[in-house]
Amino acid sequence: MKSLGGIAAFRNATTLIALAFLALFLLYPLWLVLQNSLQDEASGQFTLQNFTQILSSPYYLGSFRNSVVAGALSTVLASLIGVPLAFCLARVDLPGKSALMTLASLPLVLPSFVSAYALVLLFGHAGVVTVALRAIGIPIGSIYGMSGIVIVFTLTLYPYVLLPTVAGFRAIDVSIEESGRNLGASRWYVFRTVLLPVVMPAMLAGALLVFIEALENFGVPSVLAEDKPYLAVDIFKLFAGESDSNPAAAGALSVLLVATTALVLLLQRHYLARRRFATGARRAPPAIPLSRPWRLAASVFSWGIVLLSVMPFVAVVVISFLRFHGPVLSWEFGLNNYASLLRGSYQPLYSTLLLASMAALLATLLGAPIGYVLTRHRTRLSGLLDVVGMIPFAVSGTVLAIGLLLAFNSGWLVLTGGWLILVVAYVVRKLPFSIRSASAIVHQIDPSLEEASINLGVSPLKTFVTLTVPLMLGGLAGGMVLIWVTAASELSSTIVLYSSKWATMTVTMFQALQGTGAGEAAAAASILIVFTLVPLLLVYRLLRRHDGSLL
Amino acid sequence: MTTIRLDAVRRTFGAVRAVDDISLTIGQGEFFTLLGPSGCGKTTLLRMIAGFCDVEQGSVWFGDQRIDKLPAHRRNTGMVFQNYAIFPNLTVARNVAYGLRARGVDRAQIATRVEKALQTVRLGGYGERWPHQLSGGQLQRVAIARSLVIEPAVLLFDEPLSNLDAQLRVQMRVEIRQLQQSLGLTAVYVTHDQEEALAISDRIAVLRAGRVEQVGSPEAIYRAPETAFVAEFMGATNMLPGEAGAFDGTTTPVAACGHTLHVAGQVAAPGAKVMLSLRPETLRLVAAAAGGPCLPVRLQLREFLGPIVRLHMVLPDGTPIRVSALAGQDAAAMPEGDLALAYDPAQVVAFPAP
Ligand SMILES: Nc1ncnc2c1ncn2[C@@H]1O[C@H](COP(=O)(O)OP(=O)(O)OP(=O)(O)O)[C@@H](O)[C@H]1O
Ligand SMILES: [Mg+2]
Repeated sequence: MKSLGGIAAFRNATTLIALAFLALFLLYPLWLVLQNSLQDEASGQFTLQNFTQILSSPYYLGSFRNSVVAGALSTVLASLIGVPLAFCLARVDLPGKSALMTLASLPLVLPSFVSAYALVLLFGHAGVVTVALRAIGIPIGSIYGMSGIVIVFTLTLYPYVLLPTVAGFRAIDVSIEESGRNLGASRWYVFRTVLLPVVMPAMLAGALLVFIEALENFGVPSVLAEDKPYLAVDIFKLFAGESDSNPAAAGALSVLLVATTALVLLLQRHYLARRRFATGARRAPPAIPLSRPWRLAASVFSWGIVLLSVMPFVAVVVISFLRFHGPVLSWEFGLNNYASLLRGSYQPLYSTLLLASMAALLATLLGAPIGYVLTRHRTRLSGLLDVVGMIPFAVSGTVLAIGLLLAFNSGWLVLTGGWLILVVAYVVRKLPFSIRSASAIVHQIDPSLEEASINLGVSPLKTFVTLTVPLMLGGLAGGMVLIWVTAASELSSTIVLYSSKWATMTVTMFQALQGTGAGEAAAAASILIVFTLVPLLLVYRLLRRHDGSLL
Repeated sequence: MTTIRLDAVRRTFGAVRAVDDISLTIGQGEFFTLLGPSGCGKTTLLRMIAGFCDVEQGSVWFGDQRIDKLPAHRRNTGMVFQNYAIFPNLTVARNVAYGLRARGVDRAQIATRVEKALQTVRLGGYGERWPHQLSGGQLQRVAIARSLVIEPAVLLFDEPLSNLDAQLRVQMRVEIRQLQQSLGLTAVYVTHDQEEALAISDRIAVLRAGRVEQVGSPEAIYRAPETAFVAEFMGATNMLPGEAGAFDGTTTPVAACGHTLHVAGQVAAPGAKVMLSLRPETLRLVAAAAGGPCLPVRLQLREFLGPIVRLHMVLPDGTPIRVSALAGQDAAAMPEGDLALAYDPAQVVAFPAP
């Protein structure tokens, strides 16, 4: 539009810079992964052999199957937990509801592999509980492999289902329910025929996120899989492993993984495009009057689930203050785990702080203008950006990291071995979140505010800088902290891309896990938890989000 | 203080012609209202003048300057938005000062002009307040002050009163009108409320589906609608289908609802189908025996509305017809027996049937 003046230049610049960034650091690396998978490793000829090899190998088929089954089981379980819990949170008068809500969203931002590690510390071969039970003669089953992985995924990912479903239940005006009851339906019948179908799209959107996250996650299976093959772990091993390295096969597996997640994502978009129920509640529906036993049952269920999901993190922190004798714990308190962890150097701490801060800053600086342009000044080109900007959702950290390694290991731009490549990986991975949160913020700013400013003689570009940006700042700060937190606990691309000089806390923890340093791993995990919680609590205070949700 | 001229302006959204070749000239100092049902293109037309909506075809002129290529922030219009659009992060005074600062007016002058503008809208002393501390009506006044203070060439209003309650709406429209008159500003006002339009305007343009249906003074629009659409849109009226007879030199007889009505002037060729508009307040209830042009009716329902009484009547063939009468002069005061409605042939408006 001509009449937009300077803002058109701004819009075009933003779109072009963002597209260039994504083309260079997302599409080009992914293209290399694809190309790699279609090449004979020795001769460089085009071949489908890497795919046929994988698809005819029982091991890799098993790996694919295990990943999908673990993802599917976790999705179902997370939904089975998430929906009743959401209903309780939305409609039952529970004690400590706002604390419950805050705690329930925590597992999403706490590093999930820490939760997995907690499971090992408690129920593993030498776990506290295992040892204690064995001592009194009760053997317990193994938590390694599928069962443990599914438990951890379920307990760390169910908030993806919970949060949108709570919002869904809260958005149903009570009159809808009352009219159902008025027509002679029981509460249960109304729930089944009206409430549940109305929140279904929100729930399914969350459930598919659970599936994608579970499929892509590297940390949890790498802690708990033991010998069982898992896609995300195998890709890493095939690419970076010392003994059985096969980058072409890693590429083929990566393509398989990306294709699966992309398919699920497309299904989700397609499904959601056709289902939106406007329910326009003027205020949240009131709590359902329950008899004492029912209310007690609902409280026990809700608090039980939430405490169970937070418990592993608490356990890790407690255990980090205990003394290990080899792999075996003793009940002596002390700081020696921290001492030995930090004896090496404080460098991982600094690296984590620095890299996460840079990533949060850059992802926000890039994502916020994109979010603004996509919401306010849509063109065909920015529509393209909308699609490309969401691709990182479908790409696991490991695969992206492999692509970045392939792309920037040699040639005109060498980034490997430095800090920048880690920052780039984080920024690309967090960009969809940054764009989405910025565009949600812009949605809440009435466009007529900007028009009023322009009408009063301030150019569109200056209006953006002096009016819109200040109005967005509060929300952006919140989003930035969430990016910081998730970047600080990022494992899957870090583990592929780090160099010894830039090892982060997650790498330290991962290495301690692989070695014998159970105590050091617990200490590193605790530091990560603190890194996550402190900024969150600060921003929570700052933004005073009274609905209790952190996301 | 400018004349505004729209010359065959057009704007389409997809397949919808939101504004379809509209030409209008709005005189200097005139209070001009765009009136029409939802979706008829009022907002689009106003935003074309403000520069928020591109003109696809045609041109927009302020005086003899063509402005449709000028960016919105250089047009010097003062727009008042439906939802006020008060910047929540600035105090009232800073809100009002916003346009002056954008124009680089010096500080001392800004302070005096802001205070004066706030006094004009009766908000003197409210400068240091925050927007969330004001009521809806006060916010709307801040919005008006903010537009006035830049001394705009034209004032633009997009349904500025629709978020206010009924009483405040009436009070504010009087204030807006008085301000506009005392400052002599050209104003374009968008509303879908016909009473508001009648009360406030010098002239009204009734829009329908992106086109101008009729332009004229409130009286002309109300009394002499040129189309059935305008007649119906300008307030409840009785529309009776009929067939014209031969013009007798003063009136045309129209056969409608089993009766013959006499309409002043030659309204249509003999035998043509027409629609007759009879405004409820032009009808008078009389005893059937009284002479003069009238229609026999039966009373069905009486609604007491305070100052007036609305009577729901039916003609012998069952066609409903409504009558407004001043309280105390209606059927309750009527003698028993057959009733009739007396009408004035000059106040019946005939349109060609669609
Ligand atoms: N940005 C847009 N994109 C697509 N269609 C639009 C857009 N703005 C307006 N329209 C369409 O143009 C037509 C006129 O819209 P406009 O907003 O001018 O109506 P209006 O007369 O102001 O109605 P209301 O009284 O409801 O505000 C409508 O059919 C509307 O759907
Ligand atoms: Mg409008």
